[in-house]
Amino acid sequence: MVLSSLLLVPLLGILAILAAPRHAERLIQRLATLATALTLGLSLGLLAKFDPQLASLQFVERLSWIPPLGVFYHLGVDGLSLPMVVLTTLLSFLACLASWGIPERKKEYFILYLLLELGMVGTFLALDLFLFYVFWEVVLVPMYFLIGIWGGGRREYSAFKFFVYTLAGSLAMLLGILALYVQTHTFDMIQLAAAGPALDPGLQKLLFFAFFLGFAIKVPVFPFHTWLPDAHVDAPTPISVLLAGVLLKMGGYGFFRISYPLFPEGAQWFAGCLATLGMINIVYGAFVAMAQTDFKKLVAYSSVSHMGFVLLGLASLTPEGMNGAMLQMFNHGIITGGMFLLVGVLYDRAHTRELSAFGGLGARVPVYAGLLTFFSLASLGLPGLSGFVSEFLSLIGTFGVWRWQTVVSVLGIVVSAAYMLTVLQRVLLGPLNDKWTQLSDANLRELVTLVPLLLIILGVGLWPLSVLQWQDPSLRALIQHVLAPR
Amino acid sequence: MVVPALLESLRVWLPELVLSLGAMAAMLAAPTAVGAAAGRRAALATWAALLLAADALWQVQGLPSGAYFSGLITVDALGHLFRWLALGVIALVVLMVVSSSDVSRGWVGEYLGLLLCVGVGLMAMAQANHLLMAYLSIELVSLSSYALVALVRDARSSEAALKYLLFGALASGVMLFGMSLLYGMTGELSLPGLQGALRTLDASSAGALALALTLILAGLAFKISMVPFHMWTPDVYEGAPVPVAAMLSVGPKAAGLALLLRFAQALSPAWEALGPMLAVLTVLTMTLGNVVAVVQQNVKRLLAYSTIGQVGYLLIGLSVRTTVGLEAIFVYLVAYLFMNLGAFACVTAVCNESRDESLDAFRGLSRRAPALAALLTVFLLSLAGIPPLLGFLGKFLLFGSAIEASRVWLAVAGVVNSAIALYYYVNIIRQMYLLAPERAGVLQAAWPLRLAVGVCGLATVGLGLFPGSLLEWLRAVAAATRL
Repeated sequence: MVLSSLLLVPLLGILAILAAPRHAERLIQRLATLATALTLGLSLGLLAKFDPQLASLQFVERLSWIPPLGVFYHLGVDGLSLPMVVLTTLLSFLACLASWGIPERKKEYFILYLLLELGMVGTFLALDLFLFYVFWEVVLVPMYFLIGIWGGGRREYSAFKFFVYTLAGSLAMLLGILALYVQTHTFDMIQLAAAGPALDPGLQKLLFFAFFLGFAIKVPVFPFHTWLPDAHVDAPTPISVLLAGVLLKMGGYGFFRISYPLFPEGAQWFAGCLATLGMINIVYGAFVAMAQTDFKKLVAYSSVSHMGFVLLGLASLTPEGMNGAMLQMFNHGIITGGMFLLVGVLYDRAHTRELSAFGGLGARVPVYAGLLTFFSLASLGLPGLSGFVSEFLSLIGTFGVWRWQTVVSVLGIVVSAAYMLTVLQRVLLGPLNDKWTQLSDANLRELVTLVPLLLIILGVGLWPLSVLQWQDPSLRALIQHVLAPR
Repeated sequence: MVVPALLESLRVWLPELVLSLGAMAAMLAAPTAVGAAAGRRAALATWAALLLAADALWQVQGLPSGAYFSGLITVDALGHLFRWLALGVIALVVLMVVSSSDVSRGWVGEYLGLLLCVGVGLMAMAQANHLLMAYLSIELVSLSSYALVALVRDARSSEAALKYLLFGALASGVMLFGMSLLYGMTGELSLPGLQGALRTLDASSAGALALALTLILAGLAFKISMVPFHMWTPDVYEGAPVPVAAMLSVGPKAAGLALLLRFAQALSPAWEALGPMLAVLTVLTMTLGNVVAVVQQNVKRLLAYSTIGQVGYLLIGLSVRTTVGLEAIFVYLVAYLFMNLGAFACVTAVCNESRDESLDAFRGLSRRAPALAALLTVFLLSLAGIPPLLGFLGKFLLFGSAIEASRVWLAVAGVVNSAIALYYYVNIIRQMYLLAPERAGVLQAAWPLRLAVGVCGLATVGLGLFPGSLLEWLRAVAAATRL
């Protein structure tokens, strides 16, 4: 029941907010914060009870849901999903705090927000393909509204683009699910992981590709990434945090949970392509990020670059590479979530995100400057901070397998150092623009959202085993499963 | 022998009898009073008839399957399912009619009476076991529908009714010609008789047989708005009152599909020759409907093209001709009944208040009527096939049946169309939530509309989340239906 409670709490939150009067805005945001805090607490409790030695699924719940179709309400966590669940609940809580500044229609906002959390957590818990698809799609609808109603800029366009792109990917995945069901007559991922490898290799490749389309758009893999800058930039700050922090991980997680275990032949067949695509993501994303003048857009493109390391590590099929990929998902969620919060802090005060409009803020807002420096260094992969560990693992894991892709990818790190340092220089150094002499420093609520992320970055950077120990047994079992001779 | 058999047949047809009497009562009740009281009396008679018919339908459930009225109709699980669907359509549309401002108050009795006649026709269509019965029931539905469209008596409605009548008469004629060819070749009119006679037909008449089947398909294609016989749909929907358009978008489509299934079954070996053409038309129907819907500005025209698109999805199940496909059709029809009528009920509420049928009328609806906007969003998302709503389940099964029958390209076409369809469904949602309202004030829908929207919303969400028993029932119906 502990996993169901992770879904039940946001659901109860939604019902409570529905019952609250529209004008009781403080009550509504407290209810939402309470719900996300409780969910976070429950997921941390899960972390305490989880046995990291086991590679198998734990806390499994299985109830018949649609008997005529053989669909089960089937939940469970292992080392692949646990870090994602904790990441989701943590970022949901912090972004909920950051949502207090939402100016209007708070009731609708927080209902949709909790529905989003429900969908995200459910996606990472589901062990039934049908249930997985339902949660996967449930995420789309609130996200559309959250960007479209509370966003900025061309929010309608961006929200719609996000919806259409991801739905198109989901529909490809739906075809894959149907074809798989026709072959095996089950939606159970555990049974499918046993039956899938026995499928005809040609069919496996086809199915792998169908699921790849669904996941690739979410990650996003070049050339399916064009929805990302629009959606990330036009979304309100807390939603950008969740988009970059959690939604992209749903795509990466799909590879670990579905594509690799179910279609090992397909995975091996596609690995070369995946490594090359990862390389393109890393280098292309970094160069495009460098060309940006809008701070938020720069962070958005840096996400494309960083998610490339996930693909690269996945393609390696080595313990180092896969661990690096999985850890990179977690780290990217924390670091980029923090970066979007920082962009939001600046935008709330200055109402612009043009990098050229700033300068010399380092002396004016020292706390903010410190935080920005810290997160930027984490993002560019400074040793001692978390981003370095996962990128390094991903690179050394892949080096022996896909050599030239790895070599080219390293170039991406150099470029990311260049654009991140340029940001610091343009925003914090140089002469102070007269417009910003009255700028106030980060307030308490903003610090509360940023400091936990900072501690995690430092903690994982200094003691990577703290996260790696959870995922390593499951990942090794997965690699063994994929590479098992047939 | 004749009298007991007739009594037995009448007992099976008790629901149809009750509805027919109700139709007369509704039309006769109206002139006994003036003004609003007339409408109330007609509505009272209608509700009494509907409730009694539902009760009777429940009672006759246990009666043995087989042919009744000397073989004119057949009683089986398939017919039973479609009788319930027809009753559901009529009941929900009655809720809309009594509160629509499109329907002039002086004519409520006639509207309700004609609607009940349509109900009888729909039920008869689903049970027809004889070419004559099939033709008569189609005509009953058609003639009542022409009158329903024409009752508004403004220029647009008259034009729509005339168009509908001309197209409809042509389609009936074509179908009748096909039927006469069949009769000429075999001397049989009953479907089981035809089935037997066609087996012994020699090869020389294969061409005539194919022509006859094509002509019959054309006639039914008109009823279900299948390309290339869909042209009347947007014009008629635009001219008709919203509740009548709602009825047309679900009732005849469901009954037409039932009749198509019966023909496909009875004319089985010869019908297979139509397979490739039917599959191509399936793809054309869904593509044309969805693509043209994208550019519509009038909400009734938009929903008309959306109907064509939805019929295209349904035809997948007919093209594959498997038990799974049959089950998928049933599930999708149930879903379609609730989500489409729910959407139409919301449109009725908005058009009542704004007297405007353009998409602009929906601007900012989420602020003026939060519950209505939320439910319309549910219906539209269900039509677009977003889980966990009931429409998704139907689509899931339909596409699944195509893959199971190794017609992957039908599933791919359906998937591509779903992505296109998202555009225009979400466009309405965008109007409601993302744009500021044009008019001030709260929009309060009349209670019958709220009831209709509530029932449809509950079914769309509830059955989407817990479809177990519905699926079991429909699977049993599909298994009991011979292909």
